[in-house]
Amino acid sequence: MITYDNIEVRFGDHIAIPDLNLEVSQGEFFTLLGPSGCGKTTALRTLAGFIDPSRGEILLEGKPVTRLPSEKRRVGMVFQNYALFPSMSVGENIAFGLRVRKTKGAEVSRLVAEIADQVELTPEQLEKNVSELSGGQQQRVAIARALVLKPRILLLDEPLSNLDAKLRVQLREQLKNLQRELGITTVYVTHDQEEALTMSDRIAVFNKGVVEQVGTPQEIYERSATEFVCTFIGAMNRLSPELLDELLRGGASSLGAGRPSYVRPERIGLRPPQFAPGAVRVEGIVCERAFHGVYSTYTIDTHGSRIRALVTESGVPALAEGSRAEVYVDPASVLQY
Amino acid sequence: MSNSSLRSMVRSPLVVVVTLVLLWFVATFLVFPNVNLLVGTFFPDGRFSGGAVEKLLSSERAMNSLWHSFLLAATLAVTVNVVGIFIVLVTEYFAIRGARLLWLGYATTLIYGGIVLAAGYNFIYGRYGFITNAVRNVFPDVDPNWFSGYFAVVVVMTFATTTNHMLFLGSSLAKIDYQTIEAARSMGASTVRILWRIVLPALRPMIFAVTVLTFLTGLGALTAPLVLGGQDFQTIAPIILTFSRSTGSRDLAALLAILLGVATIILLALMNRVEKSGVYFSVAKVATPLKKQPIRNPLANALVHVAAYALFVVYAAPVLLIVLFSFLESTAILTGTITWDAFTLDNYATVFGSTAVLRPFVVSVVYSALASLIAVVGLLFVARILQKHRNPLSTLIEYLLHIPWILPTILIALALLQTFDRPNALVGGNVLTGTTVLLLVAYVVVKIPFTLRLLKASFASVPESLEDAARILGAPALYTLRTVLFPLVVPTAAAITALNFNSLLDDYDAAVFLYHPLYQPLGIAIKASTEGENNLDSMSITFVYTVLLMIIMGLTMYLVYGRSRVSPSRRRRRRSGVSVPDRTAEVLVAADPQRPPVRSST
Amino acid sequence: MHRPLRVTSVATVLLGALALTACSSGGEAAAGSGGESADAGGTLVVYTNSNGDGRGEWITEQATEAGFDIEIVGLGGADLANRVVAEKNNPVGDVVFGLNNMYFETLKAEEAIAPYTPAWSGEVDEQAGDAEDGAYWPLVEQAIVTVYDSADDSIDVPDDVSKLWTDDSYAGRYEVNTALGQATPQLVLAGLLAEHTDEGEDLGVTEDGWEQVEAYFANGTPAEEGTDLYARFARDEMDFGTIPSSGITSRDAEYGTTTGILVPENGVPYVTEQIAVIEGTKRQDQAQEFIDWFGSADVQGAFAAEFSAYPVNEAAREQALPEVIERMESLPKQEIDWTLTREHIGEWVEKTELEYLP
Repeated sequence: MITYDNIEVRFGDHIAIPDLNLEVSQGEFFTLLGPSGCGKTTALRTLAGFIDPSRGEILLEGKPVTRLPSEKRRVGMVFQNYALFPSMSVGENIAFGLRVRKTKGAEVSRLVAEIADQVELTPEQLEKNVSELSGGQQQRVAIARALVLKPRILLLDEPLSNLDAKLRVQLREQLKNLQRELGITTVYVTHDQEEALTMSDRIAVFNKGVVEQVGTPQEIYERSATEFVCTFIGAMNRLSPELLDELLRGGASSLGAGRPSYVRPERIGLRPPQFAPGAVRVEGIVCERAFHGVYSTYTIDTHGSRIRALVTESGVPALAEGSRAEVYVDPASVLQY
Repeated sequence: MSNSSLRSMVRSPLVVVVTLVLLWFVATFLVFPNVNLLVGTFFPDGRFSGGAVEKLLSSERAMNSLWHSFLLAATLAVTVNVVGIFIVLVTEYFAIRGARLLWLGYATTLIYGGIVLAAGYNFIYGRYGFITNAVRNVFPDVDPNWFSGYFAVVVVMTFATTTNHMLFLGSSLAKIDYQTIEAARSMGASTVRILWRIVLPALRPMIFAVTVLTFLTGLGALTAPLVLGGQDFQTIAPIILTFSRSTGSRDLAALLAILLGVATIILLALMNRVEKSGVYFSVAKVATPLKKQPIRNPLANALVHVAAYALFVVYAAPVLLIVLFSFLESTAILTGTITWDAFTLDNYATVFGSTAVLRPFVVSVVYSALASLIAVVGLLFVARILQKHRNPLSTLIEYLLHIPWILPTILIALALLQTFDRPNALVGGNVLTGTTVLLLVAYVVVKIPFTLRLLKASFASVPESLEDAARILGAPALYTLRTVLFPLVVPTAAAITALNFNSLLDDYDAAVFLYHPLYQPLGIAIKASTEGENNLDSMSITFVYTVLLMIIMGLTMYLVYGRSRVSPSRRRRRRSGVSVPDRTAEVLVAADPQRPPVRSST
Repeated sequence: MHRPLRVTSVATVLLGALALTACSSGGEAAAGSGGESADAGGTLVVYTNSNGDGRGEWITEQATEAGFDIEIVGLGGADLANRVVAEKNNPVGDVVFGLNNMYFETLKAEEAIAPYTPAWSGEVDEQAGDAEDGAYWPLVEQAIVTVYDSADDSIDVPDDVSKLWTDDSYAGRYEVNTALGQATPQLVLAGLLAEHTDEGEDLGVTEDGWEQVEAYFANGTPAEEGTDLYARFARDEMDFGTIPSSGITSRDAEYGTTTGILVPENGVPYVTEQIAVIEGTKRQDQAQEFIDWFGSADVQGAFAAEFSAYPVNEAAREQALPEVIERMESLPKQEIDWTLTREHIGEWVEKTELEYLP
């Protein structure tokens, strides 16, 4: 559906994206994830046609569109600040693209009403000035405005970053549901890994203009391809060389000595694990415990490392701060680079 | 900013057409005539005559005047900020009783200036002014000439040029995110501390911009030094004007003008830098509107109130006096003996009694309106292109468009007159001298720099994503410009049009050389009715015309600005996260920066 | 909905404006360049710097009665001369009058005026105009005089004008006009330098001459824009000052003064206002008829009676006010080398501006 083929983007002497190759399938919710300045927005804007790549091709449905101006690419886009036209009402904003296409008046009204219904905007809201709407409502206007033209693909540039945390979680689901309902191929840009993990079919992790890994959320999380990916996504414990040596002495023969090694907090056990017979036990001291309801987090000092462990403790007594702890690490869950 | 190459400029037909028209206009009306004149001036016999530099360097008076101009500019940069920030704070930031009335008083500088302003102050504080008289009745030892020289010029010009602050800074202040102030206060910051650490730093880019405009006004100061400067504080502008009018000395005039022009260009470069750094706009996504701050210390509160109203009196008194004086016999005003008998309607009778008093008003209104509209509408496209396409060509054009800020209007008018007095291929083989068009051209030309700067700033304030959004929705460039961008800059454009209109109404410099005999503009009519060896009422008649002009200008300002001003709180409430803030006010820079460094009319 | 509408209306106004200017430009250009032979009719445009005090209206009225269709264009002397010269390739005006000999010399040198001998040429003193070529002809004369209020006993009247700037007791008590771009101050300067001219010297003036100028400006008080000299007399700010003689009568009436004049031995500078046809006018016949009419003894006489002027036309002088005649006859004419003055006045003004003005 969407192909980035050897794309290079330059701003003057600065190379923002050296060589980008990506494939997005029909109907997929595809996320470009990375810290700010990593090139994800540049990649999206290149797809939208706002930036001309200095080399390579962009293909939509197998046809090159690199030379096509953005207004002819038939892509919809929702901007970070929504970019609603302040001089027009909500309805006029949504109808803008239709009017450009000289769609007939009655048809415009019908299509606007239809899409408004889909994104849950009331007819009264359509009459309002955009500035009278809340942030969440503005976002829906922006989505309606993009979707009313029935674009081939939908581009979303951090559409949730302007909203407060609670609303953000709520809108995540709405957005995902809407996308699933319409079955529209979607490219989503975010720096929020939680957003990326919960919403995406697949994720491309960007770092300094380069894609470090492409995969499903689970693949990215559990089998992070690079050190950057594994530290960027989710919480991570970095093992000290002493701890790694201790694990090797304990029989973790699959691990290599002297390499950067990581374990996720939820893969650290404080009791003998049932399903990981190869787990190695090391000794430590509990320095901190925080109770979160469903789970608790422990910070444990062991062999020069300060390790965070995330455990569920239903029905078992908690370990007191300052007490000794047994820490179980499954070598299979250790990521080495 | 990816579209920075010349190639992308060529790609859009709209840009190509506008650029071609612009290039023609710049070449025909800005470069060709002025280069013509300057070459004739500096190379009288085809050889460079460098005598001008030598003459200037050896002239103590010229050097002193030049130094005074720069000194004045530097002083004003400080004093105008002090007074300007104060009046903005008391009208927009602090809860002061009667802030609306205060605002009106401070806004009087919008509708009058020049000789009338200086004269107004002179009648109050000058040697025969009534304040001076009153003080001397009590303390006879006071020097009656206390209000003259550097000090007096600085005082008058300080109050006269705070308009920049009122309009520019006022709206900047309105855009400060109130949450930052609330946050600071919740952390226990005092009023002064909040002001010093939160509010003023947020205003800094705008303060810097108005400071530059103030500096330029100071450099070109003309009437205030003439009337109040006395022998010790004369500036360079009058010398430039005298030399402009004499063929033999025109090289000196041009040289001095270019010198001021270089200073102007340096400041412009600074302004460009500030604009590029782009901290003009609040970064808050959903800014909370500013609430007026009470001053909690009762003593400080009282002091600020007193100072605010004292300033109000200083601002409003000259205007009231001008209205009063327009009903007085000249002799009474000039000799300073005002009695009940001296009040008369004769001045108005003289003005309205002359055969064709209305016609110059109509002519000037039509010329000013046309010129303002053409300048603004044309430059809407130009500013847009210059703002969007940065390349060597657009940079060059932009600097060329500032020529009218460098050369005095008189020289521009003369250059046009001499260039188009024969069939010229650039204007289709027509002769423009002696037609009604040439004055219009001159008016448009002199308004270009000011209009361009403000329109560019206005376009820069429109988020780029709006345009991207329109594009991706399928809108062609012109459609986007028309439906999305123009509506956002229209308030600004209207405000500039009004300011341009007001400043052209009583123009004399350009009109004197270019006006068509059958269409006498107001500036000429005023001059004619106030000149003459036996015309002893000239001052009174000037006052009558000033009153009439103040009425027209006040009306114009009210039409574009006053109505929204009536309920400032409502306007603010409408602002929100996505909407581009209404920049009308911001752009209403005072009439002064739009003046070129040197302008002879009053 | 109203926003787009507003843009449309702005656009409409703009188009209207363009159409308007296009029309006017087309029309004017046609009138300007096309009508070389046919455009004998139309309004006669009269350039003058002498339209103040209601003179412009009076002349227009009289001319209309006499069957002329004229439009007065009134500008300050220096501006007017500049404009006529700048327009010489495509003149807008048809007749110019009121400028003094110096300015007319410039117009002649720039070939901006066309020689014409008026019907009344025999009634005026040739020496007052352009005796050599007859390019311009004299209308009225004025003297530039140093005045004081003779009713004020406190004034110690010097026996010679030059004492004003050589005797310290007068320092600051006389007004000097520093607006050297204007005609009167230029004549004062010419008068000061007239006794010290020497072709051999730089700028045609001896060192003594410049010392005079320096002292004159150094000891005087500059004129104040917008404040009349007599107002300064009235509030005892000033004792002496320089004005054209034609302004005396009305000021005495207004301020209740009795003007006294300091008359130097060498006389006072006289200025003669001139008239000429503008070169290249399309209404040459009309212009010449207007000059014949305006300079005639009848019209000049009536003008003199109306505006206390002193006509050059000897037949018209009879109608001038007796007091004006008496005053002018008491004022000897200073000998000024006008050719030299015209040649150098620009440089003199420049030098004075740069070096001697306070």
